[in-house]
Amino acid sequence: MVDAGTVAVATQMIGDAGLKAIGAGIAITGTGLASGWAEKEIGSAAIGAMAENEALFGKGLILTVIPETIVIFGLVVALLIK
Amino acid sequence: MRLLERFRGETPPQKKKKGSSNYAYAVTRVRVMKSKLLPKESYPRLLNMGIDEITRFIQESEYKNDVDELAMKYSGGDLAEHALNRNIALTFDKLGRISSGELNYLITAYLKRYEIWNIKTLLRGKLYNAPVEEILEFLIAAGQFTYSFLSELAAKATSQEIVEALRKTEYYPLLQKFDGTNLADIENALDKMYYSSLFEAIGKPKSKDRKLLTRFIKLEVDVKNLSNLFRLKKAGVKQSDEIMSLMIEGGLELNTEKLAPLPYEEFVNELQKTHYWNSISGVADQDMDSLINLERRLTRKYLEYTTTFSHASPISIMPVMDYIIHKNNEVTNLRIIYRGKEVGLDDNLIKDQLVVI
Repeated sequence: MVDAGTVAVATQMIGDAGLKAIGAGIAITGTGLASGWAEKEIGSAAIGAMAENEALFGKGLILTVIPETIVIFGLVVALLIK
Repeated sequence: MRLLERFRGETPPQKKKKGSSNYAYAVTRVRVMKSKLLPKESYPRLLNMGIDEITRFIQESEYKNDVDELAMKYSGGDLAEHALNRNIALTFDKLGRISSGELNYLITAYLKRYEIWNIKTLLRGKLYNAPVEEILEFLIAAGQFTYSFLSELAAKATSQEIVEALRKTEYYPLLQKFDGTNLADIENALDKMYYSSLFEAIGKPKSKDRKLLTRFIKLEVDVKNLSNLFRLKKAGVKQSDEIMSLMIEGGLELNTEKLAPLPYEEFVNELQKTHYWNSISGVADQDMDSLINLERRLTRKYLEYTTTFSHASPISIMPVMDYIIHKNNEVTNLRIIYRGKEVGLDDNLIKDQLVVI
């Protein structure tokens, strides 16, 4: 465990701008991983459906990119933090 | 823990999972495959057709490749029989190919029923001196045995040679006991072995989908036991031991030990306490002519339940199981129509044999 004194010293060293950058980084990392995981699941399901019925290509593509919105929200949050 | 077991000289339990499963890919693919099954509206049309028209109809469906492939070799009902068997074997083989990890392991364990079906068919065929061609008509190469291996087995002169050829399989210790007179006992033992190894493969269910899969298999055991109980009661078999020797262990709701010694009326009264009664209440009379209606209703219930399970757990093995039994039902229906038409049965009689969902 890190005590309160060490946190205060670390905060002073990093500064406000540094903390904002870390926050923005966390927002992008989290949402990026989440949308990647969701797209992997939906994408493999879409490929499975397309392998049996090629006509499902359009629907599969649209459904696969829908989780991309998650990372866009992350980007928006990161820009707002800045 | 494994290290401790190794120090003690114990064999660690066999690892069942082999890599990660691709549920999303396999399940969606299987769902699309299910959407290609014949819709229920096609059955009345099929019933109005002749054999050649039916062949043409299925040639335009998912069975096209199979009919085309075999059209040079067979004709009429034989062509349909071989095409249906080939199609079901390739379809189930495909399920093995498109799945991985635990999903593949469970599908393979479930499809072992076709290995047992083939062994039974081969032994029966040889015992009654059926021609090789006739035996081949009923072989479904959906398990681990390939069609060429099964054809080699069918070409063997005696059942003992077939048993020897299966020396390296897990069935050999049981088949060794086959002496030419105890086929029924061997068949029952094979069925029991299948279900016990299937339950072993599933293991102790912890997750929701494993629990549903166990429930599905248990339901299947109950359906089998129930129709066997009705058959035995109708045939007047009263000895509890004799009945119990034919029952499969591990059912969902039926207490076979309690039901086996009961006379018909009490047996039916006891069944009224189970949820199967709703499905069979109208047809379970003591003086019923045949069990066809009853078995049809039980099969329908089984199919409907599996679909419900597959909706309850959409990304699991259940949609795959749902597809397997619906595909099997479609092939059985088509086979009934073909064979019925071939021997000139009345359309209504054929219709009564079908399970259409």
